[in-house]
Amino acid sequence: MLVIGRRKGESLLIGEDVEITIIKIENGSVKIAINAPKEVSILRKELYKEVTDENQRAMIFDASTLEKLKK
Amino acid sequence: MELVTKYHGVREYSDEDIIVFKKGLPGFKELKKFITFPLESNNAFSILHSIEDMEVGLVLVSPFAIVKGYEVKIPDTYIKELEIKSHEEVLVLTTVTLSSNIENITTNLKAPIIINIKEKLGEQLIIDSDKYKIKEPLFKGDNN
Repeated sequence: MLVIGRRKGESLLIGEDVEITIIKIENGSVKIAINAPKEVSILRKELYKEVTDENQRAMIFDASTLEKLKK
Repeated sequence: MELVTKYHGVREYSDEDIIVFKKGLPGFKELKKFITFPLESNNAFSILHSIEDMEVGLVLVSPFAIVKGYEVKIPDTYIKELEIKSHEEVLVLTTVTLSSNIENITTNLKAPIIINIKEKLGEQLIIDSDKYKIKEPLFKGDNN
């Protein structure tokens, strides 16, 4: 893993197409701007993690529960 | 071919039934090949089952049946990757988390599974917006 220090207004490049710029640093939070091609998906990690967890819960199968739903 | 599943009995399928998730699904990245079938006990639901892991079968429902006016904007990159040519090829389903308490059964409207039923390609989309919830109750008290 690369750890890199950046100041406000500075950027870094990932590959040829992705540019990340530090816009604002304030009270332990940082605002960044990302320039990337459309096909690069950008997600907050906690959202991805929530979907991962929910997918795992969706495979827990309890037939009796669905039986109850029968109309 | 036969698929012996842990929870859904033995399933017959052929090569044409296999839906390929080239990127896998969050949580199951290594699994790429799935089949779907309706749930016998309640055909409002279907199962998306891995043919590579007998334990992995996700319960799915049509989100349009749950929420009036549910809409998904499928990004161009997905249209390209899933080789979608017309809306008739698109099937949108959302995962269901069961619970013995009916009020706690939810569906994940934030991460619809998009399937091209013609080309048999699928991918899960994550909608980064507050409009839809990860845990949307399936039954909202008054109905059902």
